[in-house]
Amino acid sequence: MALTKNYGLGSEALLDAASELVELAFAKESVHEAEAIISLTVNSFVRFADTGPTQSAERAKIDVHLRVRREADGQFFEASAEGQSLDEVAMDKLIEQASSIAAISPAMQTPLELGGPVEVSLGSCDSATLTHGPREKAIAIKRALAAAKAVDASPAGLYDTTGHAVALANSKGRQVRNETSRASFALTVTGPSEGGLGGSGWAETIRSSVGELDIDGTIERAIAKAAIGQERGAVEPGEYTVILEPAAVSSLLLFASYYGFGAKEVAEQSSFLCDRIGTRAFAEKITIHDNWDHPMYQSCSFDGEGSPKRVVPLVEAGVLQKPVTDRRFAVLNGGSADDSTGHGDVQPSGSGPSAGSLCVDAGTTSNADLIAGVERGLLITQFHYTNLIDPREMSLTGMTRNGLFLIENGRIVQPLKNLRFTESLLRAMERVTDVGSQLDISGALFDGEVITPALRIDGFRFTSATDF
Amino acid sequence: MTDYMTLSAAAVKEAQKVGADYADARTNLLQTESFGLHNGALEKASMGEECGLGLRVLVDGAWGYAATVGTDKGALHEVATRAVNAARALAGARSEPITLSQDEIVSGEYRTPVKEDPFAMSAADKVAFLQEADKGLQGEESVVARDVNLGNRRERQWFAASNGAEQYQELVRCGAGVSATAAKKGVVERRSFPASFGGDYRAAGFEHVRSMDLASHARQVRDEAVELTTAPICEAGTRDLLLMGNQLMLQIHESVGHPNELDRVFGHEVDLAGASFATTDKLGEYQYGSEIVNLVADSTVEGGLDTRAWDDDGVASGRWHVVKDGIFNGYHTSREWADRIGEDTSRGCNRSEGWYNPPIIRITNLSLMPGTWTLDNMIADTEDGVLCDTVKMWSIDQRRLNFQFTTEIGWEIKDGKKGRMVRKPTYQGNTPDFWRSCDAICDESHWQLWGVPNCGKGNPMQVAEMSHGCSPARFRNQTFVV
Repeated sequence: MALTKNYGLGSEALLDAASELVELAFAKESVHEAEAIISLTVNSFVRFADTGPTQSAERAKIDVHLRVRREADGQFFEASAEGQSLDEVAMDKLIEQASSIAAISPAMQTPLELGGPVEVSLGSCDSATLTHGPREKAIAIKRALAAAKAVDASPAGLYDTTGHAVALANSKGRQVRNETSRASFALTVTGPSEGGLGGSGWAETIRSSVGELDIDGTIERAIAKAAIGQERGAVEPGEYTVILEPAAVSSLLLFASYYGFGAKEVAEQSSFLCDRIGTRAFAEKITIHDNWDHPMYQSCSFDGEGSPKRVVPLVEAGVLQKPVTDRRFAVLNGGSADDSTGHGDVQPSGSGPSAGSLCVDAGTTSNADLIAGVERGLLITQFHYTNLIDPREMSLTGMTRNGLFLIENGRIVQPLKNLRFTESLLRAMERVTDVGSQLDISGALFDGEVITPALRIDGFRFTSATDF
Repeated sequence: MTDYMTLSAAAVKEAQKVGADYADARTNLLQTESFGLHNGALEKASMGEECGLGLRVLVDGAWGYAATVGTDKGALHEVATRAVNAARALAGARSEPITLSQDEIVSGEYRTPVKEDPFAMSAADKVAFLQEADKGLQGEESVVARDVNLGNRRERQWFAASNGAEQYQELVRCGAGVSATAAKKGVVERRSFPASFGGDYRAAGFEHVRSMDLASHARQVRDEAVELTTAPICEAGTRDLLLMGNQLMLQIHESVGHPNELDRVFGHEVDLAGASFATTDKLGEYQYGSEIVNLVADSTVEGGLDTRAWDDDGVASGRWHVVKDGIFNGYHTSREWADRIGEDTSRGCNRSEGWYNPPIIRITNLSLMPGTWTLDNMIADTEDGVLCDTVKMWSIDQRRLNFQFTTEIGWEIKDGKKGRMVRKPTYQGNTPDFWRSCDAICDESHWQLWGVPNCGKGNPMQVAEMSHGCSPARFRNQTFVV
């Protein structure tokens, strides 16, 4: 796009622009501190279904965020403005908007200076991912369409490639920048049945570069999960031993990421960590870190305040650890602002810090042996529309989707109609009795992704059933 | 204004020059404001502005879409070439060409009627407004989080299509809300007014926010949050369910709106959002609800978050029954999808989130028509029920049948009287059984339009806005779970 011609995906140019914006803002008499974040996103995607490619986009956008503060009598007054242009007029407008709100803002309750210089790693954007277009995507999509057609099933999926660069500069000399890329290919296949809504299967591959995607393996897994031509049995709601595959684990743990592992939720008594930090609330086999730098998938090396992201232990051998922080909560928790774990939102924000890169340690049991160890239970591929009932107990509900199977005597014996679970994450994690050896990365309906192996959980609660 | 329309029209011409069989372009200018007090501190204070152009082309029966930030005319050739090349690259993989219904795409202008321009009001006045509302939330030690939010959006769109039509729309949306979260002995409960997750939004000016009278309601919100922390959990069992409007609106959204999107019915959203049980063989025959259930889609209703003159296909807004006297009667469609159900023209439901995204079928304003009851009479007529108010949690399966919802608060109803408060009322059911059990709907005096400003659909996900009008209603013999 024209935008990438002007800026490339070079985070260096973005950092120059952010520094320039900070200088311009700082030159204004009423601005005593300023911080700018500029990001560039270049995205290409193709969606497809039974008729072939259904939708595509080739697009680029720039986002500019300016945070300004005025200081009076030792107090800070803060506001921000957002735009999508780096021309002089737009920058002046941003400065005017942000400083005009800061002029009337009430004083900040936790007055902190902006962070000073820090070192962060740069990361890299894979050039093949950045330039991967619809022509290349069409090749893989044709393979998926043909594979689905061969088993008389309907396909639907997404092939997406994204390059992202971001830079942050502030008037205290903090200057950080980062580049990342992400590629994903997902396929859902639906088998033939009355109304065209038979059993379905799903698989996805997500990596930092498009060359690492296992597309053929993904197609094969999705079709296998649909169990085409096999009659679906039904089981009654109740408690079952389950093998949750990584996508199912992900949709549970993401709620701990949104609502539990952050210091604000702990401070406001709504986190499941409250009164449990230092106690063994999860099974001893469970260890979880927030790790932006996992070799399987690397995210940005700094947070919305430009603080370096640390690798933070959240659960160690089942024992719950302290929450992640931003600069404000690092201070409120008794440290200095620079003790932030690097999990802050872009400021000012009503959201507290959050652990957005959850990684569960792998165990030693192969996926085949996980299943082989179950006398009677369920294999669960994915959950749909999981949502939070109670944050303190982390009670959740959601539906199974795209592959629910009955296991008997260590073997998968039958695909099943779907079930609704209503279960506390705490109770489920306490009942983990085995951990798979193979890690995968997957997301859910809402934002975020988790790197995790499959888990065996005993006594997982299902509360209702469907007839499909 | 003319410059932006010129840009959209030039993008369409450029697309035709490089081979588009059909093209439309949207230049969007979006202004946003967001203010939020958290425990009295101004934690959100932001103004935003974004502008860009999205160009959609149809070439050899396949869609292509390219989008670029800004309004640089020099970028149009590259944008058009990218969109057309994408469509050409993908056309060979399609089993059949995409065709469009023969709707009349006309030129014109539309603006949301606004009495008090929210962007003309000073930031200081807006912050003062929030502070006034926050006062009522103060004064209880067990309230660990007080939130007051206010958001304003003005979206201008310059749409041009290859038939020469030019449409300008200016949509203004405002909303606000208060909430209090109380914690006692490990129990945490939240109350919100007038709706949860940021409040209630409407296509209107700041007069909508003033009409909520947040300051007067804040004290009750605070007190109910505190009381909830010691209230008993709503017991499991089978009882009548009475839903207030700010919960019933989400029931309409999830169990009627989404399953009614025709692209979803044909499996084109199954990769993320899901499919639908409301298949085309049911159209015109299926008993979706009881005879008193009438659900009307209306992209012209005053104040609706999706009230506008045209959709992003350029098709005019309209009004139609989705469920008429309980029978499944119609779908949400677009120009691409109308002929799948034998309709010559689209219902005008194709919308995108700004310039960055291509349009997909979205729910428009969809409302349950009022009945004849008063709330007092409905309560008096209920022997054993629970009155549930305000969305807390929702979950529904990928075919939109099995659902489980939790509301912020409930009150038991015994022998026609509203009794003790209960927390976490959670009911679980099945869409057609639920709507068929509806035996009482309150009258027009109780009817209100509720805004949904954050509906997610698509993959990659897009956010859209719409409203759902309803009066409180009763659903017999529902299953409450703990």
